[in-house]
Amino acid sequence: MKIVVCIKQVPETTNVKINEQTKNIDRRGLGGVINSYDLNALQTALEIRKKVGGEVITLTMGPDDFAVSLQETLALGADKGVLLSDRAFAGADTLATGYVLGEAIEKMSDVDLVLVGQQSVDADTGQVGPIIAELLQVSQVTYAEKIEARSNELLINRKLDNVEQNITAKLPLLVTVTDKINQPQYTNIVEIAKSFDKPITTWHARDLNLEDSRVGQAGSPTIVRSISEPVEVTKINTRLSDDPVTAAKELVLALKQKNILTEEA
Amino acid sequence: MDQKQTSKEILLRMVKSFTENEVAPYDMEIDQTRSYVNDLLNKIKKYDFLSTMLPKEYGGAGFDGETTAAMINEIARGNASLAVTLEGHFKSIDQIVKYGNKSLQEEYLPQAKSRIIAFSMTEPSGGSNPLGITSHAEHVGNKWIINGDKIMITNGGLAEIYCVLVKTAPKELSFFVVDKDMEGFEFGKRENFLGLTGAPVGEIVMNNIEVDENHLLGKVGMGKEIGDSAHNDARVLMGAVLTGIMEHELNIVTDYATHRKALDTPIIQMQAIQRKIADIAVAKETTKLLYQKAAWLKDHGQDYEEEAAMAKAYGSRSAVKSGDNALQILGGYGYSLDYPVEHLIRDARAMEIAEGTVEKMRTTIALIEAKNRA
Repeated sequence: MKIVVCIKQVPETTNVKINEQTKNIDRRGLGGVINSYDLNALQTALEIRKKVGGEVITLTMGPDDFAVSLQETLALGADKGVLLSDRAFAGADTLATGYVLGEAIEKMSDVDLVLVGQQSVDADTGQVGPIIAELLQVSQVTYAEKIEARSNELLINRKLDNVEQNITAKLPLLVTVTDKINQPQYTNIVEIAKSFDKPITTWHARDLNLEDSRVGQAGSPTIVRSISEPVEVTKINTRLSDDPVTAAKELVLALKQKNILTEEA
Repeated sequence: MDQKQTSKEILLRMVKSFTENEVAPYDMEIDQTRSYVNDLLNKIKKYDFLSTMLPKEYGGAGFDGETTAAMINEIARGNASLAVTLEGHFKSIDQIVKYGNKSLQEEYLPQAKSRIIAFSMTEPSGGSNPLGITSHAEHVGNKWIINGDKIMITNGGLAEIYCVLVKTAPKELSFFVVDKDMEGFEFGKRENFLGLTGAPVGEIVMNNIEVDENHLLGKVGMGKEIGDSAHNDARVLMGAVLTGIMEHELNIVTDYATHRKALDTPIIQMQAIQRKIADIAVAKETTKLLYQKAAWLKDHGQDYEEEAAMAKAYGSRSAVKSGDNALQILGGYGYSLDYPVEHLIRDARAMEIAEGTVEKMRTTIALIEAKNRA
């Protein structure tokens, strides 16, 4: 099975700062790590390869230094990596990103399965996977929590708020995975050195069959009007009495004091 | 792509994640139970931590001294004992790489991927004065027969292979490599030490252990040179451990001082607190620069004895003092056994003694300074 895993490099800190001018994440001085959900996707790919054979290709879009993350995926067990790097890709929103990733997957030809993390931990949109599936015109299953691979289909379990589905989906297919699907392994230290024997290919805009108007900022209809850092909220716990009647009275009083309950209620 | 830099970045990303998830949450439990809980030893073997600086030709990852020290630094942020266990293993590998003959290297270095190696000099009758030891090896035919008692071995009881210092003549010191599975090898008692309680420090007893000639490390009479070399390697890595301890201290005090209020103001706003935190930060950064310089000199084949001694002497005193500052900032919580600050002081205190006391480090530094100006 030929499996492509889409990888995003995200800032390593949870203490993300916003650049007020660009309305984007201020990545200056921040180290990068692989988006944690993408590690779940990679682990899924490696497990499928172990069961049914094939190859695992990791794919990312970003500046040249994102190759470190691709190298890390090779150390984790992927067979080869592809970096999409070009100044023309800068400023891409989810649509333009999905378009370039989709075209790269198209170029690889005969891809059976595309695996994507359910969302990135920095932007949290969860849109890129479904966009790729639409552009490639393949079926998609989102938020997979279990996958069982067969030669030409996958049995997928997904849980939504009130629904649990067990789906049999034919290949080719795109699946986004949650962090419940597996526990990603750590990189084996000796494998880091060995990973340099595996190839990483860089594709620029000219290497893909792209329409200029659909890449980078030009291809990004999303306009971020404002963005702000979350305000830290302090929560206060109040212990009520053990006696239920007294506790109920204390609760009503507390809710009234906070204007959550009014006298009329 | 710069392969060396990329490898280092991937390694440190992995170690950071491993430390945050597998080591740091168990720091208190490791200290209190005096053991590596959470199956930690098997995990460090599984992910090949033991092979970090082992040469590639023996199945290792072949990272240089600077990267290995940075890795130790990262682990020590989570738990200093585990960092010291790795330090003891790495310094032992270093000596087999530097001084071992080919057949010894081929026999033992591949095993270092999964079996911890320890380095053993001290005896009840001698520590910093190695000529005071009584363990000895006798050359009989083409074998050496080793007898003696070694104590206070880092990873003693945990390690499976030991580099042991013995006398091969009344004033002649030599090192041999022995294996716990050899006939005549016994483990003795484990020390009940104050700090670094996860890393066992113990005793081995050797009763007529018979080894082939290739188990001699270097040549007969090279015991002092090999011992000094091991000390230097260990001191660089101890600088990294101490930096990690001070980073741990900083994490605790900055978090506490940011959230703890006095008179409705976070105490981080108070100058008395700021001074203490700043002192810890300066000491941490200074120790880091010292060990990094020593490691860089080592990697580039230059003399690093003085810098290694500085990293350990300055770092150990600073980490203890920084721990005392951290304890004072946390007040009653700092003094509590239920909070980690007190054990960080105990952990750091060990390194004012181990691998040469701070007094001995000062002697080393002073004599090198004088020699450089002679």
